Amino acid sequence: MKDKLLMIVFVLVLGSVLTAALVVVNNVTTPIIDTYNVQKIKMSVLDVLGIRYDEENLESVFSENVDEESQGAETLYVSKNGDIAFEISGAGLWGPIEGVMGLKNDRKTIKRIVIVRQEETPGLGGRIGEDEFLNRFLDKTVVPSLEIVAPGKAQSNNQVDGITGATMSVKALEILLNTEVQRYLTLLSEEDAQ
Amino acid sequence: MSRKNNEGYKTFVNGFWRDHPIFGMVLGICSALAISNRVENAIAMGAGVTFVLVATALIISPLRSMIPLRARIITFMIVISTFVIIVDKFLKAFFPTISTAIGPYVGLIITNCIIMGRAEAFYTQNKPGISIIDAIANGLSYTYTLVIIAAVREVLGFGTLMGFRVTPTGWTNWVVMSMAPGAFFLLSIFIWLTRTIAKIESP
Repeated sequence: MKDKLLMIVFVLVLGSVLTAALVVVNNVTTPIIDTYNVQKIKMSVLDVLGIRYDEENLESVFSENVDEESQGAETLYVSKNGDIAFEISGAGLWGPIEGVMGLKNDRKTIKRIVIVRQEETPGLGGRIGEDEFLNRFLDKTVVPSLEIVAPGKAQSNNQVDGITGATMSVKALEILLNTEVQRYLTLLSEEDAQ
Repeated sequence: MSRKNNEGYKTFVNGFWRDHPIFGMVLGICSALAISNRVENAIAMGAGVTFVLVATALIISPLRSMIPLRARIITFMIVISTFVIIVDKFLKAFFPTISTAIGPYVGLIITNCIIMGRAEAFYTQNKPGISIIDAIANGLSYTYTLVIIAAVREVLGFGTLMGFRVTPTGWTNWVVMSMAPGAFFLLSIFIWLTRTIAKIESP
């Protein structure tokens, strides 16, 4: 009985001490991580809209070149020439995928896509976040809908070559992109109708 | 005392080569297969595992006489998971690019058998100083294994090394090397070669 009590006390004490250490680490790192995440979104918006910036002048370039428009709970980022960017998110194969997508002012042609966060298999599905893959979306059209096909099979302007070994992640990204484009275009057409 | 009789030296050599966690004890194979397709990721994973090993040795070894026998596994789990969360937070805050690349696998350090194995076999039996030497040796040997395999896989599978192109124009990537079968293939060759060189007989 004494042994069992000792065992419980030991685990409780050790657990409490280590939890306290985690609280300290969390308090120190959370503000840094939050700041980075906000900056990352701004950098991604500027990237997809094709606006050049340095890390030093990020804030000023962003405020001078990008208008933030609220669409319900969503934010739409609009550049001076009418190109739009918006945050995208949805389910990947192993975890959430988040990013920023930019459309040209015709609201049909993709300007650029940036993936900010993904938890796909490193080296396989994780390659959906790499420029080499994302560059394949440049100037593709989202009408009637985007299709990511087997590598080398893309023919029409709404088709993009996929990645060997990343079929499931690529499929998840295709669904995510089409859903988000549809959602934002609906929001925009509702606003235009008003 | 001659160098070969020095306990610290022997512990280091054992962890670094003779009792190598991957080819000697065949531990940590899952993550060695998964994180060995890019050298950059391999270094980050190796550094993470080494840090958690050293931190676990630092906590478990001084407490070894106090840890109740029946609660030792849960104790290891609490200690290891705490340090893994610290590594994850640290990477997210200070090395966000690497964190994005290997994010999902950082959490899996908790289940890396090398850490649990060394805690059970060594840190509960030995003093802190020697335990830390063992942790560093095991961490380094895990890291260099990952880096060697990753170097081959990255060059053949992606045509790059540390992200820089090293293959001639017109090089066709061996896609299989970037996928799981390539990892199995190379890791098997690595274990075969190193066990032969180290003259380790199969039981």
